[in-house]
Amino acid sequence: MAKISLEKVKHSYLAQPTAPEDYALKQIDAEWQDGGAYALLGPSGCGKTTLLNIISGLLVPSQGRVLFNDADVTQVPTTDRHIAQVFQFPVVYDTMTVFDNLAFPLRNRGIAEAKVQKRVQEIAGMLDLESSLRRRASGLTMDGKQKISLGRGLVRDDVNVIMFDEPLTVIDPHLKWRLRSKLKELHKRLGLTMIYVTHDQTEALTFADQVVVMYDGTVVQVGTPVELFEHPNHTFVGHFIGSPGMNILPCEVENGTVRCAGHAVQTASSGRPGSDAEKTEIGVRPEFVRFDDHGFPVEIIKVDDLGRYRIVEVRYEDQRVKMIVEEDLSIPSESARISFDPAATRIYADGWVVN
Amino acid sequence: MRTHRWLVPTLYIVFLMLPIYWLLNMSFKTTNEILGTFSLWPLEFTLDNYRKIFTDPTWYNGYLNSITYVVMNTVISVSVALPAAYAFSRYRFLGDKHLFFWLLTNRMAPPAVFALPFFQLYSAIGLFDTHMAVALAHCLFNIPLAVWILEGFMSAVPKELDETAYLDGYSFSRFFVKIFIPTIAAGIGVAAFFCFMYSWVELLLAKTLTSVAAKPIAATMTRTASTAGYELGLLAAAGTLTIVPGAFVIYFVRNYIAKGFALGRV
Ligand SMILES: Nc1ncnc2c1ncn2[C@@H]1O[C@H](COP(=O)(O)OP(=O)(O)OP(=O)(O)O)[C@@H](O)[C@H]1O
Ligand SMILES: [Mg+2]
Repeated sequence: MAKISLEKVKHSYLAQPTAPEDYALKQIDAEWQDGGAYALLGPSGCGKTTLLNIISGLLVPSQGRVLFNDADVTQVPTTDRHIAQVFQFPVVYDTMTVFDNLAFPLRNRGIAEAKVQKRVQEIAGMLDLESSLRRRASGLTMDGKQKISLGRGLVRDDVNVIMFDEPLTVIDPHLKWRLRSKLKELHKRLGLTMIYVTHDQTEALTFADQVVVMYDGTVVQVGTPVELFEHPNHTFVGHFIGSPGMNILPCEVENGTVRCAGHAVQTASSGRPGSDAEKTEIGVRPEFVRFDDHGFPVEIIKVDDLGRYRIVEVRYEDQRVKMIVEEDLSIPSESARISFDPAATRIYADGWVVN
Repeated sequence: MRTHRWLVPTLYIVFLMLPIYWLLNMSFKTTNEILGTFSLWPLEFTLDNYRKIFTDPTWYNGYLNSITYVVMNTVISVSVALPAAYAFSRYRFLGDKHLFFWLLTNRMAPPAVFALPFFQLYSAIGLFDTHMAVALAHCLFNIPLAVWILEGFMSAVPKELDETAYLDGYSFSRFFVKIFIPTIAAGIGVAAFFCFMYSWVELLLAKTLTSVAAKPIAATMTRTASTAGYELGLLAAAGTLTIVPGAFVIYFVRNYIAKGFALGRV
């Protein structure tokens, strides 16, 4: 087990990268504490798999260093890094039985056969694979094969980190939920470092203590689910996390006053964007938008009743704003006035928060 | 119409099997009967033709020579093609697409084109009339073919399999031998089959590059005008025996070949 750090890691799949767009990872500085449960969250193509492959040594980064417990392992081959990684699609050794598949990582490390038996039984029990242990792995369903992949990842208890790259994509929703809680339980029991890649926010938020949000080859924020919810560092985080996501509205800043469509808006940001900012916006979550007779005028276009609360969509100019309204509050019929909770409204310059 | 549905396939099979049947038929006849009478089956059934082949060294050595260089060629072609196909399927390197294409174009030239240069070269380095000479010459055609077939099978295996093996503690070479090769066994079977067949039926290079010591069976067969004229029964028996190894190999790889077709290669 180890603390894993990435120092100024950049990676490009091209031989001679020139422009920033050539890099799949722009610049990553990140630290994964020993024993943490991390979720790596981000849209497709943002570099999540690339990052995992750099940690496991399947890729050598174009620049920067990878450290395990402060020792440089950038050039150490995968085999010697003691890492378990589970991929999105099942990988099984077709020619072996299920048992041999699960035992494979242990046997390769010269573990005594008695312990191999014990561990494999334990893992197989956890994943409901006991009944098929003697069968050839190639005959199993997708679900079954992916369970083998998971099992092979979990079978060693001496790995530095276990990384899951969207491991439950091919698994049906019901089983998905069960496997996810099993993983969580296992993390608690064994205290292994786990990194779990997903682009599903509920999956990330339920699994992890710390969520790492990636966007376009960079890490935009690392934090607990609550931090990401309350203090998004980047409009992407605000938008991606929470349901519905944060409202992001263009604004102008003049002499320190923030205006949205001509109306002054109070924010929690005490700083102001630099004059070189190309785009200034305010971000406010739907939970912190309310009806207010002194606010600015909007037109109500849609109401969704979700039981305990309603999601109301309103419009001013061509901007749409979503707001969450408790079930006991009445909603005006066509036009209304709204305001934002200043303590939860922040300015974003070119996507990044201004504090 | 329904009742005649069997007609077309049957005609087709009869049409395909007829020459083979005739060969078999002739091989059990004496030369005199072949020349003298027309009959659908041997009137004087004889195994003399076969007996002659299995006892006369000039005959059975032909088979041994053919099998020797064919097996050598198949082993060399497949073992050279394995790493090459792996490189094509797993790595991108400068000009890989072009190289892959040019490999295949080798097969477009008729073997006759290469007969003279090979003859010259092998005579100069003392390889002439050895099994190795023919085996190597056939590699020129078979390695590209094997690379092409194997590349298809290898690309169907996700690269995550390689990566998982490294994570699980295997080095590249152990992974390649113990996991990857068994995984693509079907592809190896298909590639070996095509190498075997090509090398088995190729005659021109095999004849040009040998004289006595490594003379292939097909060459023996074309030189059988004895004092008694052509020994047709003997020739037919020899012909029948040349079909046997092919049939044997096909029997073993038939399932793999179906898989190969399913993958779009072959
Ligand atoms: N082998 C490769 N060769 C070239 N480019 C690649 C390769 N693998 C990934 N890329 C590119 O690098 C970028 C990051 O890819 P990566 O696979 O890390 O994304 P991801 O976050 O894992 O996406 P997903 O959620 O779809 O798995 C993408 O733009 C992708 O096109
Ligand atoms: Mg990915």
